[in-house]
Amino acid sequence: MATPGGTFRGNADAFYLPDFCASRAAFAIVLIAELTAIVLSIARQSASVDFWGELARSSLFLLWVGLVGAALLCGLRPRLARLSVVRGSVMVLAMLTAMIAVISAAVFLLGRSAFVAGAGGAAFFPARLWPFVLRNTAIGFVICAVALRYFYVTHQWRRNIELGATARVHALQARIRPHFLFNSMNTIASLTRSDPALAEQAVQDLADLFRASLSDRHQTITLAEELEIARTYQRIEQLRLGARLQVTWSVAGLPPDARVPGLLLQPLLENAIYHGIEPRPEGGTVTITGERAAELISVVVRNPVSERQNEREGNRLALANTRERLALLYGERSLVKAGRFDEEYIVTLRFPYTTSAPPAAG
Amino acid sequence: MLRTLIVDDELPARERLRRLLAEIGGAEVIGEAATGREALEQAARSGPDVVLLDVRMPGMDGIETARHLGILDEPPAVIFTTAYDQYAINAFETRAVGYLLKPVHRDKLAAALAHADRLTRPQLQRLAAVSGESRRTHIGIRRREEVRLIPIEDVLFFQAGQKYITVRHLTGEDLIEDSLRTLEEELGSGFVRIHRNALVNVRHLERIERHPDGHYGVRLRGCVTALPVSRRLAGELLERFK
Repeated sequence: MATPGGTFRGNADAFYLPDFCASRAAFAIVLIAELTAIVLSIARQSASVDFWGELARSSLFLLWVGLVGAALLCGLRPRLARLSVVRGSVMVLAMLTAMIAVISAAVFLLGRSAFVAGAGGAAFFPARLWPFVLRNTAIGFVICAVALRYFYVTHQWRRNIELGATARVHALQARIRPHFLFNSMNTIASLTRSDPALAEQAVQDLADLFRASLSDRHQTITLAEELEIARTYQRIEQLRLGARLQVTWSVAGLPPDARVPGLLLQPLLENAIYHGIEPRPEGGTVTITGERAAELISVVVRNPVSERQNEREGNRLALANTRERLALLYGERSLVKAGRFDEEYIVTLRFPYTTSAPPAAG
Repeated sequence: MLRTLIVDDELPARERLRRLLAEIGGAEVIGEAATGREALEQAARSGPDVVLLDVRMPGMDGIETARHLGILDEPPAVIFTTAYDQYAINAFETRAVGYLLKPVHRDKLAAALAHADRLTRPQLQRLAAVSGESRRTHIGIRRREEVRLIPIEDVLFFQAGQKYITVRHLTGEDLIEDSLRTLEEELGSGFVRIHRNALVNVRHLERIERHPDGHYGVRLRGCVTALPVSRRLAGELLERFK
């Protein structure tokens, strides 16, 4: 379920309980046990009952129950995950309730043992067996049921978020700006007569771009391939914009074999041209610089600023998309920054250098 | 022969239109322009019958260019061309304005030329209003052989007279045909109405002063005299610039 990178491997069939083997879950259990102990102690408090003694007793008992329960769920999770949600939940509930009954009985018996009696601690333990066991079982049943419901709802909620994000990424990936498509078609229509060889090349380039944009989103490609896609895109735009578009590439320092999500750079170049160059009658220069420092790759795309670039929706969507995809692959080790500095709009990407395809989550 | 001007910021697009026109016949290309400004210069000088005008151009877009073409003595007919612009297309549809989708079909271009018509002022105003991103960047002023363009930011104020509106700007004063209400709507929050007959550019506002008789006046940078503020609008104005 929740992995450290904040991503999420759960799918529609996965069991909804979190993995109780993880240290974070164990910590949560301890926290819940203590909170429950406090609630119970407050509820029971009266003139004749000592609050701190009560709290100590409840804590001891609940921590045992909680941690044994976590250990059980940790061990049985693979089997529970094979059951349906309803059957799995019933099983878990039954198992935990039974476990609470057994532990309660064990505590009672311990209090009656010669060891405790000899130490003079009998008063710390329950006096009668059945009321103690029944009461604990009932409370345990209710709390487990509420907890299961909570985990289920949380799980559904996260799944919805994840599905929403996936859908958004898909939608964005499939999206080639209609403007770009029709303008390119118009350019090609013009070139077919005036320069058939150039028209042929433009058609090939357009086909390559479409293939890249339609490819599987789980795939990573090499940085060399991604740079080629971006250059292909530039070639098409160059036909249309002519001398108005200048692109300076200084990417010799980038390792060509690094794995990156497909269409990582091309949309940034597209944005830079669409928002930074096209609105300016005199055109301008887009600068792409890349370098590798130790195990980090950074790429910077800059373009002359045009009004409101950071507020435009297309711009924000593309950036959010890039950020999301890098985060899916590299978690918090990736970074996407964008903003206006003086007369330039600058986007910076940073992500770890890997040559093997990272385990794509999702 | 229809004397035609081709306006598009992309060279391949202009070349293609020129070739299509040659194939169709009946039209003579008298010039090409890559920006709205160039288009206005050429149109004022050579008076085309028809302008093929790209909607999406850097600087001044096609719709604003069409508005400035509209103030020429003999405004040309306008046919818009666009690759993809849903706002503009909707606007053209509802206003029955001629437009062509790129890549342009030859027979559609021929048909559009046959029906090419001048745009009326209300048509142009509505186009500007519904086409979303299009914002007026200049005020066009008709001179004998040219359309002079005053950048909106250089305008100090507009003052309505009997028939015309006086535009006071950094380099002088001119008359235009328009209405204060449409100007106010189009120019948005950068301008403020201070009187029934006056619309003032906020960026040139220097101070608001109170006269002994209780009336208010507005002083603009570079203007000797103060403009009177109407009693009705004074409250609003003071509130905004407290």
